[in-house]
Amino acid sequence: MSREKNVIIAKDLYLEYKKDVPIIKDSTFSIKSGSFVFITGPSGSGKSTLLKSFYGELKPKGGNLQIGGVSLNDIKSSKLAFLRKYLGIIFQDYKLIKEWTVEKNVMLPLLIAGYSKDVCEAQTKRLLKHVRLSGKENYYPLELSGGEQQRVAMARALAHNPVIILADEPTGNLDEYSSRVIWNLLEGANEQLGTTVVVVTHSIPNNLKVPFKHFYIENGTVYEIS
Amino acid sequence: MRSLKNHISLIIPLFAILFAVEFYFIISKIISEYEVNLSKDYSIIVVSKKPLTLPELKAVEPDIALIQEVDSDLIIKRLKQNGVDVNYEELKNFLPHFYKVYLSSFPSADMLEHIKQVLRGIDGVTRVETFTKVHEKMYHFLIFLKKISKFFLGIIFVTSIMLVFKQIEIWNLEHSERMYIMALFGAPLWMRNAILIKLSVIDTVISTILVYLIYSYLLSTKYLKELLGFENITISSQDLLKDMGWLFALGILISVVNVLIVSWRQPKIA
Ligand SMILES: Nc1ncnc2c1ncn2[C@@H]1O[C@H](COP(=O)(O)OP(=O)(O)OP(=O)(O)O)[C@@H](O)[C@H]1O
Ligand SMILES: [Mg+2]
Repeated sequence: MSREKNVIIAKDLYLEYKKDVPIIKDSTFSIKSGSFVFITGPSGSGKSTLLKSFYGELKPKGGNLQIGGVSLNDIKSSKLAFLRKYLGIIFQDYKLIKEWTVEKNVMLPLLIAGYSKDVCEAQTKRLLKHVRLSGKENYYPLELSGGEQQRVAMARALAHNPVIILADEPTGNLDEYSSRVIWNLLEGANEQLGTTVVVVTHSIPNNLKVPFKHFYIENGTVYEIS
Repeated sequence: MRSLKNHISLIIPLFAILFAVEFYFIISKIISEYEVNLSKDYSIIVVSKKPLTLPELKAVEPDIALIQEVDSDLIIKRLKQNGVDVNYEELKNFLPHFYKVYLSSFPSADMLEHIKQVLRGIDGVTRVETFTKVHEKMYHFLIFLKKISKFFLGIIFVTSIMLVFKQIEIWNLEHSERMYIMALFGAPLWMRNAILIKLSVIDTVISTILVYLIYSYLLSTKYLKELLGFENITISSQDLLKDMGWLFALGILISVVNVLIVSWRQPKIA
């Protein structure tokens, strides 16, 4: 994917959970490869829902949605699994596997990608250090604080150097210092690896080094405002 | 504790299936060995005015494996012992030929009747006698057992497969969150199901070992041999081990197929 190509293209996107109750409608927008994008909007406006459609958990009921040139409208599950290997997702509710240790959770995308044990371990160690969780490798998610769990989710999303990072409120539970660490990591991935970063947030940090775009959701429609 | 209960709920139906299948295997094996024993044990006596040869008999009845002429000296000796006073040298020329005829397999009653007819039709044959042995009753009982066990095998199979399916469904629910998260990161089906397959493999191993232990105990007891009445019918432990290989494969097949069906029935998350 070259820098100038659109990596996410939505045309007249329509999303719903219950029949005829639209969450997202009449939305046409595109996100360039290698860009840094914020999505904001009031609570319940459909930000998480929009991200869900990006990773294929909610299929469009109308319009078109393409990620990396692949249409998500009627994607086969095998193709979707393939696509998801290139995504790094941070969920609003973290979605850590509670039966697994912190280390194994972070390793999940690497295991799926089929890396050797050595590579998995080295990469996991490096990332846990980045999110300041060294020493907690063998903890289970429920033994961690909310903010610590969020940082595990961050490490997991970065583990396999994804092409696109989709982050839902990645600093929602963090103090200012930890938030800074997270923003630095996302900026780093964007700057150094050209990763496309899409972040849902309530407040855009004011000292960001990279240029960014801003999408706003209001009454179910996505607007690009800067 | 809860996981132990979960394991037992899979081990019991798997064990039932494997136990029933092995029962069927063993009955079949005993029957075929029994048939070999019976066919050796069995004989037909043919009295003929003319000498008979094996190829000649085989031409009319291919099931005939061996003929043995009963030495006429033997018959004369017996007559002498009984004090019958005749000119033996002369008698020898008048005596017909006596043959013991052996078959290659154990005949059914119908087949025996058929063979008798065929033998009677041969030129020179004057009498055909068959000797039934006590073992025949046991043989028919074994055949009966085999038929019944086939029937029970069917019932056990169906009910147990349903239980296996239920248990795997329960596991699937227990692990569904993890499988869902794995799917969100693009894990293929086999990887998501790996935990269920791992659990099933463990339980299949345990069930197979249980079946092996119970049968090797049962087969080592004197009781069975006495019942069958043949000392030389044995199911060796190698035979049993080989069967276990098949049973293990069957157990794995049942569990894996069930895991796949269960995961197909799941609402699609990918
Ligand atoms: N699984 C679901 N089934 C039905 N309706 C849903 C489901 N998930 C979300 N919704 C509805 O969709 C709307 C948007 O939800 P969404 O989670 O996308 O909001 P959001 O913008 O992420 O809010 P927040 O900022 O609070 O996280 C809400 O009104 C919610 O009730
Ligand atoms: Mg949300």
